[in-house]
Amino acid sequence: MWSLKRFPALWLLPALLPVALMTIYPVAYALWTSLHSVMLLFPGEPFVGLDNYKRVVSSNYFQDALRNSLVFTLLAAPLVVVIGTLIALFLQRRFFGSQVVRSIVLLPWVLPGAISAVLWIWVFHPSFGVLNGLLRDLHLIDGSIPWLTSPRYALVSVVVAHVWTQIPFAVVLLMAALSGINSETLEAAAIDCRSALKRFRYIVFPEIKAMIVVLVVYNALTAFTSYDLVYAMTGGGPGTATTLLSFQIWRESFSMYDFGSGSAVAFIVVAISAVLIVAITRALPSDLFAEE
Amino acid sequence: MRTLFAAGMLATGILAAQPGAAEDLTLEFVVWNYSLETIQDNVKKFEEANPGIKVKVTDYTWPDYQDSLVLRFRGNTPTDVIYGGQDWLPAWGAAGFIAPLDSVSPAGAVDELKKDIAGFALTDVTYKDKVYGLPYYADTISFIYNKKILADAGIAVPTTWEEVTAAAEKLKAGGMEHPIVYEYNQELPNFYDAFVAQAYGRGAELFDKDLNPLFADPNNEAFKQLQWLADAYAKGLVQSETHESKIIPAMNTGAHAFTIVYTYVLAALNNAADQPRAGEFALAPMPGSTHATLGFAKSYVVTAQAAADPARADAAWKFVDFMAGQPYTVAKRWAVEKGLGFAQLPLFQDKDVIDAWGKWADVKSLGDQAAIAKAGTYTEYSSVWSAYFRPLLAKAMVGEASVEQTMKDGADRWNQLKEQFANR
Repeated sequence: MWSLKRFPALWLLPALLPVALMTIYPVAYALWTSLHSVMLLFPGEPFVGLDNYKRVVSSNYFQDALRNSLVFTLLAAPLVVVIGTLIALFLQRRFFGSQVVRSIVLLPWVLPGAISAVLWIWVFHPSFGVLNGLLRDLHLIDGSIPWLTSPRYALVSVVVAHVWTQIPFAVVLLMAALSGINSETLEAAAIDCRSALKRFRYIVFPEIKAMIVVLVVYNALTAFTSYDLVYAMTGGGPGTATTLLSFQIWRESFSMYDFGSGSAVAFIVVAISAVLIVAITRALPSDLFAEE
Repeated sequence: MRTLFAAGMLATGILAAQPGAAEDLTLEFVVWNYSLETIQDNVKKFEEANPGIKVKVTDYTWPDYQDSLVLRFRGNTPTDVIYGGQDWLPAWGAAGFIAPLDSVSPAGAVDELKKDIAGFALTDVTYKDKVYGLPYYADTISFIYNKKILADAGIAVPTTWEEVTAAAEKLKAGGMEHPIVYEYNQELPNFYDAFVAQAYGRGAELFDKDLNPLFADPNNEAFKQLQWLADAYAKGLVQSETHESKIIPAMNTGAHAFTIVYTYVLAALNNAADQPRAGEFALAPMPGSTHATLGFAKSYVVTAQAAADPARADAAWKFVDFMAGQPYTVAKRWAVEKGLGFAQLPLFQDKDVIDAWGKWADVKSLGDQAAIAKAGTYTEYSSVWSAYFRPLLAKAMVGEASVEQTMKDGADRWNQLKEQFANR
């Protein structure tokens, strides 16, 4: 007799095959490429073992890119979650025009990375940028600050832009988590405790902690693999001030025509991402990944 | 029923008798998206003149163009005619992505056209003595200044880089925060080209005839020019912009007096239709002892894929010849309507071109500059090297690395690639 339970693997095959084709094959091919010398300028694709990895790791660019990626991630991921939480808590309240404010907050979500980059370039532009204009109007500066072309400011500027693009998603998820808290619990807490901070710490935070962990992991990975926004805003410069590891994958592959090294960087990014996930989930224990 | 059958047969016969509709060959033409409407209109005119050949245009942005093309080549995406750049052409030729034009053209046709092409442009489209492209446009990199600002400040047009520094310092002392605005984007080939153009102005030779790098020598003029740039940044004389499109409004704020960009940018700067300070800008000979600059050509190139198929090869040649061959109608259109430079020398005598260019530039100065322009040094590995070297240049300019170390690293990497390529 036919039963869905009799051949589970068979029933899953139509879904698994495309996944295997679209995921496993490219990943396996990238792994193969990372272990071979695949350079457009040179014929043949000889096996070189871990040479691509060694060459990439020992290059100056890699160390700059790794440092930048880690700083970028350490700044961006917590900022997104903290600001996202504050905005979500604010938007939970009902006030006149709250629906309009919610829509505006979500606006950055619908903009593609390249468009957001153009917008932020105009904000940070030294001659006619909004930010310098504002600072001048407030008499805080006399000249202009080269936000995107000074090694000192460029990384912070792209972090600000990146955080702005990621906040809406965090707000949506956190508002969903907040709406799941029992309203009677919140009312009781409001009666028992006058401190909003304590109510957040002891009542609200434990209820949304799992979502916060998800968001920290998600944002750490998003920041660590960020590419389009940073590329469009600074091209990785000035010098290597905003060169991220994801950018280095592109640079090795398409500027240097060295697909072996590009794939090696990609696998290093995957390995570091895995370490990040483990580190975050251990640093922020929640029952999210607990076994039943 | 019989009538219906007869009508069907008749319709089939009519369709079969119309080869134009039934046998249209579609060329895949890949471009960067500068003035796409003009490109489409040129394509339309080609299609009208060549029934049976259609052209599908695919465009990418300039920063994405090179890697998109590499992806297309690597993925065997159908691609017949492309815009080629002088810096990629040898690498793509060596990789077998593109084909010499004499493999798709009638015998002698390319040699005939070569006679009309300016020297630096012909160098840029030639790899291993074979011509791989016909010029789409050719241009130089220019030193551009604001005539009014200099006149108001009583400053003579600088003729050396030291005079540029003195003029910029005087303007800064008078309240101009950043007298020089500079296209600073390490991912664009322009970034390296602009540096080479400045070094050529000083009379620099970056490589010897055996392609050994010379620029790491502190006495080399390229070394001195990088030091000059680093000093100018350190003195706060320079404002960076990430693209020429932002230099145009920046210069039109009146807050800057000098820039170094592709010459066609001068046409946009002096465009009275949308620039408030149009007419204030002029080009001066590149500062330095020789006033030479970098000349370059972008070109229409046929891919190896197209060359391998006789029908496509024939259509691709017809298309390239229409776009860049005699009577140079398309090249003239770009020059007149957009101010793009050209490599087809007879156009310098064309009255329409002279009249059009006279609106935004001193045509004699342009001609003088083109006459002493030099081609860059391009090898199979130069685009790879340039991608490595540009971030080093960028770091040195803003004081994140020393000029000495930058030039040494650049020379070492060049030698490494040269040796690697020789032993491949």
